[in-house]
Amino acid sequence: MGLFDTLLGRTKPVPSNLDALFALPSASITLQSAAGMTCSGRAGVCYKPPSGQGFEDMEAEVVKLLDMDGSTLRKVSDSFSYQWVVVEDADIEALVTQVHMVNSSLADAGWGPQLLCSVFGLSKLGAGDAGHAVGVVEAGEAASHPTSATGGDVLPATLPPAAGDALPETTVGPGTVRPSTAYLVYLFKRGTFYPFVPVGPEKRDTEEELRLRSLVSDDLEVEPDLDRWFPLWDLPVG
Amino acid sequence: MSTARRIPPDHGLSVRMFMTGLMMVILYGVVIGVLIAVGINFAVVLVFAGIILFVQYWFSDKIALFGMHGRIVTPEQAPQLHGVIDRLCAMADMKKPRVAIADVDMPNAFATGRSPKSAVVCATTGLMRRLDEPELEAVLSHELSHVAHRDVAIMTIASFLGMVAGLVTRVMLWTGLIGGFGGGGRGGGGGNRGGQGNVVLIEMGVLLVSIIVYAISFLLTMALSRYRELAADRSGALLTGRPSALASALVKVTGEISRIPTRDLRSAESFNAFFFTPAIAKNGVSLSTLFSTHPSLDKRLAQLSRIEAELGRPS
Repeated sequence: MGLFDTLLGRTKPVPSNLDALFALPSASITLQSAAGMTCSGRAGVCYKPPSGQGFEDMEAEVVKLLDMDGSTLRKVSDSFSYQWVVVEDADIEALVTQVHMVNSSLADAGWGPQLLCSVFGLSKLGAGDAGHAVGVVEAGEAASHPTSATGGDVLPATLPPAAGDALPETTVGPGTVRPSTAYLVYLFKRGTFYPFVPVGPEKRDTEEELRLRSLVSDDLEVEPDLDRWFPLWDLPVG
Repeated sequence: MSTARRIPPDHGLSVRMFMTGLMMVILYGVVIGVLIAVGINFAVVLVFAGIILFVQYWFSDKIALFGMHGRIVTPEQAPQLHGVIDRLCAMADMKKPRVAIADVDMPNAFATGRSPKSAVVCATTGLMRRLDEPELEAVLSHELSHVAHRDVAIMTIASFLGMVAGLVTRVMLWTGLIGGFGGGGRGGGGGNRGGQGNVVLIEMGVLLVSIIVYAISFLLTMALSRYRELAADRSGALLTGRPSALASALVKVTGEISRIPTRDLRSAESFNAFFFTPAIAKNGVSLSTLFSTHPSLDKRLAQLSRIEAELGRPS
């Protein structure tokens, strides 16, 4: 905030920086080889809904747009009265695009300052997964997707309806959506990421977070100020 | 990507604040000129005032916390409070200040500290007990705005003039009592009656000027304080996007304060400048608007409802 603004007691609303989101797919590949982790296919966008009809209308429009795309999304309100839009997509690039779309819709409508963060779930690859680039890769998209054979923890219920009935264990596909064990949090106002590893209620594994930081710092801009790595308990991203 | 502001900036408030600050700067100049003209050892006064000011400014966080019985709390001790402040700071892209809680039943909150880097935001247990989540968040957002606007530093500098004038006044009175008027005086006893008369006149003149300057600077400082409060209200409301939560908190807190036994309030009145809402007993001394560190409740509510109306406009 500039000196003049300080003297006059005006706070400039901080604009958000969205393009850094697109660095995520490459970070995901790095994590796969270095840590045996990959994006879990779940992500959420967190914002503080202001009062007023203008925002509600725009929010409804965004939800409609996402619905039309056929994405699975749900809106959740958390314990601090912040709103989350949670999306699921096994394809990391599609996931990032959806998250970017939610954010840019809000920002373009002038509500950028209300955005808090975006969270991307990470999960460990199953025991048999490491190094597999498996078949039935969707047409055209080859090795750039972090595909994984399903280990023991496939969640058929969370795949988009097209998957049909429960998948047998050896079915492969362009990745699956799984529960997350760690998260990458993207702070809009800073344009930086930081890892967040909750273990139990209100406890976090700082060592693991720092380890993840060292792994992704080449691909992503990691938040240098550790004070800003604030915890997000009760994450609805799952 | 649009970074357009949805709420138009409040130019009137900025202009009024600027004019107040400008008048204080002009007053500074006048005072310095007068003092130099009569040859008072201004350097001594200035050094003394500077030291007091510096100590008050540098230790403002410790002084305020000590006075209000506040203690710093860790995230483990107060996870909800820290959580709210964490998120507000991330939204505002500001460094998170230290968080303190004062075990006092009077509902109030304050922000202190010489700079955003060494700032403290404190809420009383009375406040946390009485307000619900959105209201508490609104109050904290107001306090964080004070930190971001560096209000402690600005108000300290603004009150500097008043303090200097007050000091000079006191020095003059003291000199007058001990040796000055009509007695031994300066430069040896006896001597030219007319000359002595002139010296006395000049001393009286300086005294008068000091008193007037002190009074004016006091009023200007109070006016500036009121504008800063309105600015913090505005910034806080825009940060959360819920001006009505802040309005509701204000009404609740002001209402509660008037019900608290007078004794508690009197001990807090000296810290009014720091507070979210002035700790003024309704049945006690009624201060006129000019003397108040905070704008009236009506004025604050009016500003907040204007912001609410802006938000309600369809996009």
